[in-house]
Amino acid sequence: MNEPVAAGAQRGLRGDHVAGLVFIVLALLVAWENRAYPLGSLSTPGPGYMPLMLASAFGVFGLLIVLRGGASPLLATIDWTESRRAIVLLIACGVATLALERIGYRLTMIALLVFMLGVIERKRPLPTVLVAAGFAFISHFVFATLLKVQLPFGPWGL
Amino acid sequence: MAEVLNNLLLGFSVALQPSILAYAFAGCVIGTLVGMLPGLGPLAGISLLLPATFGLNPIIAMVLLAGVYYGAMYGGSTTSILMRIPGEAASVMTCIDGYAMTQRGRAGPALAIAAIGSFVAGTLSVIALMFLAPTLASFALRFGPPEYTALLLMGLFVLAYMSGGSMLKTLTMATVGLMFGMIGIDAMSGYTRFGFGVLELSDGIGIVPVAVGMFGLSEILLTAGQATPPAVQRPTLRQLIPSGDELRLSVGPIARGSLIGFMIGIIPGSAHIISSFVSYGVERRMSKHPERFGNGAIEGVAGPESANNAAATGAFVPMLALGIPTSPITAVMLAAIMVHGIAPGPMMITEQPELFWGFVASMYVGNVVLLILNLPLVGVFVNLLRIPYSYLYPAVLCFCVLGVYSVSNSVVDVWIMLVMGALGYLLRKMDFDLAPIALGLVLSPILELSVRQSLAMSGGTYAIFFNRPLAVIMFVIIGLLLLLALRPLVFKSKDWRANVGLDEQG
Repeated sequence: MNEPVAAGAQRGLRGDHVAGLVFIVLALLVAWENRAYPLGSLSTPGPGYMPLMLASAFGVFGLLIVLRGGASPLLATIDWTESRRAIVLLIACGVATLALERIGYRLTMIALLVFMLGVIERKRPLPTVLVAAGFAFISHFVFATLLKVQLPFGPWGL
Repeated sequence: MAEVLNNLLLGFSVALQPSILAYAFAGCVIGTLVGMLPGLGPLAGISLLLPATFGLNPIIAMVLLAGVYYGAMYGGSTTSILMRIPGEAASVMTCIDGYAMTQRGRAGPALAIAAIGSFVAGTLSVIALMFLAPTLASFALRFGPPEYTALLLMGLFVLAYMSGGSMLKTLTMATVGLMFGMIGIDAMSGYTRFGFGVLELSDGIGIVPVAVGMFGLSEILLTAGQATPPAVQRPTLRQLIPSGDELRLSVGPIARGSLIGFMIGIIPGSAHIISSFVSYGVERRMSKHPERFGNGAIEGVAGPESANNAAATGAFVPMLALGIPTSPITAVMLAAIMVHGIAPGPMMITEQPELFWGFVASMYVGNVVLLILNLPLVGVFVNLLRIPYSYLYPAVLCFCVLGVYSVSNSVVDVWIMLVMGALGYLLRKMDFDLAPIALGLVLSPILELSVRQSLAMSGGTYAIFFNRPLAVIMFVIIGLLLLLALRPLVFKSKDWRANVGLDEQG
């Protein structure tokens, strides 16, 4: 996926440096949040004991990743070309999640598929609508009717 | 021996019931499709199907999900061989020589050997499972919390050592999974940890939203913009027949792959992936003509394909005998039987003989079904690969939302899936392996409970882990793995991946 870069060949921030630093910060946040739970004693460890152990290990691993990060690819060489599409897909799924229990399964799936096929993939309107409606109704029939999986209904019983 | 055969007869009386046969067939078909679809591996496929099993009896649920599991193992090989696209991670090694054979016009024999190897390995490992699981279950009754702690830690270290990437990164990812497992109500004290006021988080983070997010959604986010796949070959039935030479060359790799796969499958970790890597390396190392590997060596297809199917069955041994999910996939399957009030563990085999032996017998049936599906019907399945990816991924994405929502009818789970998808996408961009996160999440509650129970038993001293022989053996293995991992740094020597030639293959 990423071009391997020889250690020390180029200067700059590397992927593992960033990842390791993020891990250290997250470990500190977990340890900070863990203050709310009793640590107990060694003979009766409390609910805060294991999270603190894990946060400590996570912080140490993060530090080691930073220290050994010199051989990882430069952050600038990591290819992010598909990231815009990924963000759009995530936002579309987020909106669908908000809509799911409000407008029901079938309408949500139709809207989500029409957006992905029509707007993102620029498919022609007729196949887009047919695929979206077909998927929504067939999957609802298979899961809700045949397999008795509960799916949310929206207006007009859809 | 006679007892095993009697039990197996009981199993077949269950597995050959028409309804169970139908579900085994359905599971194998769904699994084959899941294995062929890029973006949906066995874990995401099983997770998505889990809610549909809640209304079924536990035997049918297990048979259906197991069918999906080994169906996906078979199906993954088809896209690897015909298109150089691994349908799931365990098929990566099959791509190398399988696709090279396709380019030389030998796609049919490659598919046939993959199916035969998978069938033989699957069948041999079910026989081994049949004898080993009950023995291990009775042995496991000697396990106390310190042994379970050592076993779980050993599993994580074996995974870290055997995985393709850095041991440090794998352990870090396992720690992330273990930390995710801390979310929710603490079973021993009743405290809700890291709930952030979200009521649904008090139940903890489920494996399904994490698995679907990390393995399904993140794959789609990475690949959504890709061009339509290239044209696909459709071998006819006649073209599937391997030559005598190809059959002769495949016998050894299939036997070795079955053994390697089953042994690795028993150890906690992403066994089916690791086993195919190890098998490929072993075959290349043992070959008199290693230069053929990468250019269409049939052994490079036979070994890894047998190994990943044997590992899929091997992973059921600790699941059935110990009640320990040694991989995210077996965790989802355990969830499927726990929903029905069945407690997994060493007593399950004696308390639920119909479930255990019915499941074992259904594996034999499943292997036959898959052989039938994968040889004559390969041309039919290949049609699926003609669907443009621009239509396929939106449908897979909708299935992800549907599957995750329907596990507990909660949009919070869908949000978790989206967060995990985004996290998985970022981590994969940074070359981190995601499997240890899912495994860590699964093992987290068991590990925490066994550590805290061990400390309580010992009155607060860690010496308990070094006073018990079984635990000591496992900790010694952990120490050895650490030393082996450090060896290349100290002596500037090559590690096991380089020694078996995997670093060159990526």
